[in-house]
Amino acid sequence: MWEGIYIGVTTAVMPFNLLMLFVGCFAGTFIGMLPGLGPVSAVALMIPITYGLDPSSGIILMAGVYYGAVFGGSTSSILINAPGCASTVVTAFDGYPMAQRGQAGKALALAAYSSFVGGTIGAIFLIFFAPMLATVSLSFQSSDYFALMVLGLTAVAAFAGKGNILKALMMCVLGLMLSTVGTDRSNGVERFTFGSIEFIDGLSFLLLAMATFALAEVVMSVMNKSTDAQQSKVNNTSSLGSMKLTKAEIKKVAPTVVRSSVLGFVVGVLPGAGATIAAFLAYGVERNFASAKDKLGFGKGSLRGLAAPEAANNAASTGSFVPLLTLGIPGSGTTAVMLGALIASGIQPGPQLFIDHPDVFWSVIVSMYLGNVVLLILNLPLIPYIAKLLEVPRPILIPLILFFSLTGVYLVSFNAFDIQVMVIICIAAIGLKLLDFPLAPMLLGFILGGMLEDNLRRALLIHDESMSFLWERPLTAVIMTIAMLALFGQPLLNFIRSKVGQRKEQDVFDSE
Amino acid sequence: MYMTIAKNRIGGLIFLALSLAYGYSTTLIPMYPGDEYEVFTAKTLPAVLAIIGVILSLALLFGSRDEQKSELPKLDWVIAAKLMALMVAYGLVLEFLGFLIATTLFLICGYWLLGERRKTLMFFCSLPLVTVFWYGLTQLLGIYLAPGAVLQWMGV
Repeated sequence: MWEGIYIGVTTAVMPFNLLMLFVGCFAGTFIGMLPGLGPVSAVALMIPITYGLDPSSGIILMAGVYYGAVFGGSTSSILINAPGCASTVVTAFDGYPMAQRGQAGKALALAAYSSFVGGTIGAIFLIFFAPMLATVSLSFQSSDYFALMVLGLTAVAAFAGKGNILKALMMCVLGLMLSTVGTDRSNGVERFTFGSIEFIDGLSFLLLAMATFALAEVVMSVMNKSTDAQQSKVNNTSSLGSMKLTKAEIKKVAPTVVRSSVLGFVVGVLPGAGATIAAFLAYGVERNFASAKDKLGFGKGSLRGLAAPEAANNAASTGSFVPLLTLGIPGSGTTAVMLGALIASGIQPGPQLFIDHPDVFWSVIVSMYLGNVVLLILNLPLIPYIAKLLEVPRPILIPLILFFSLTGVYLVSFNAFDIQVMVIICIAAIGLKLLDFPLAPMLLGFILGGMLEDNLRRALLIHDESMSFLWERPLTAVIMTIAMLALFGQPLLNFIRSKVGQRKEQDVFDSE
Repeated sequence: MYMTIAKNRIGGLIFLALSLAYGYSTTLIPMYPGDEYEVFTAKTLPAVLAIIGVILSLALLFGSRDEQKSELPKLDWVIAAKLMALMVAYGLVLEFLGFLIATTLFLICGYWLLGERRKTLMFFCSLPLVTVFWYGLTQLLGIYLAPGAVLQWMGV
């Protein structure tokens, strides 16, 4: 392991990679601060740049952008009550009231310190758990991978929230359907190309990611008048107040930060859960832990209420790299985009990554930590200036983002037809968003589709064309059971509860 | 304009139509001789997906008990349509006008569509910026960008 860390450190501190880290953190913070654009969009916008870099520099850049965007999201949550992404919604609960009291500087500092501790604890856990899981997963067979992918897809749906499970599942299926467009990899048959040569290679992942997460988000923000109003609030952030925390305050939030970091990491490792659920969970747990008097302060500018989600979402962002790096299965929309970018640059994340590309594996882990340091020592003092960048008029900013998205795709394929396809996908994505369909599961389905089909085909070949591996191979059976529980557990519980409730009502009625 | 729409119904119907069309297209996938004896062919996964798609959309259509009637937010559709048209136009003229001219025009039109009227700002945020970008790509990164049919005709 120490040898690995050494490889990681030497790769990550190479001047060019350090530069990528700085650029990534800075660009991520900026994009993350723009209302409506979150980490997924930020990472998607970086993909075309990573194509020209070697894989470790590319993933270092994307990792920097990832936590930069999460940090940027917190900043806009605190300063203008407009979370850049879902995982920082909770940050606004207590961060914005603090800013309204004139303690914006303190809130930003606390958010940065909590994120730093969350990221540090997450990185330490990652160093220990990732290689362990990678070693274990070397014994995984195709059937286990198939089951893991099913788990990944069902878990995303299961964590989509009440009422959205069905829609998230539908989006997973849509992603899988889109992944089948093009030439079948095993026997060369063309599927769903409708005779067009443009679709023979299938849909480009980059095109899909950019159209759904960069273009659609930007066009939606233009369509939505309220974001303009939020934007105008940015101009009032010139005075942030003191950024210092007192010893008593640090003492008060320290246990919260540690607790939330551990919780955040564990939630982040679960496929599908991710930073948003970690932040909400940590906030809820802290409120339950708080004394009756402290409980009243939650939602009105409580320090613990701000520190908990910040530590948790950063630790979860780090945690979500565990399934990505060790199993090759992304746990969230952002890691799904990263997986696609890695595959495009010729690297297949998974247990072999640890052996074949130790430099990529370890440099990501080390750069995670360095990224947190960069955010703390560079971004925090620079926040007032980065906030100034947001004063660039939106009529200038929006066409520039559109231009970067379009040329990003064009510069990879050099096919102007892709721009038209992007516009069509963008229109479809806007329609889906208006109908409340989540888009991240679609991207996950699209990325996992090819691998899922390959592994299922191989598993069937190995097991004499019988599906018996689903119940005969213990590991596969266990993973499939977890997947089914993730999917049907909650509805089943609800059903049992309602039945028990009905019976109790009946008993009461009978006794009367 | 406020519209009251049962989003789940519409979503379910669209997805049902999509799944049925996908299922029909699955039947058009060509097969090799002998494929009928194989358990897993190029049609297998698409067929399974089409069936799951139909089941899920029916579940959404008939399964949502609560009358989920919600209002669409107030959105500016005109500006979205204009931006889309601008992007389509950019895609159409990119290879004809070349990267430099097409992108400069795209940016200026984009700024103008979104309400920017300061000519100096519009100029400095388009041509110089695109030129720097183009220089970086072609000269520093060595990426070849075709000069565009128009410039070739003019012999540039």
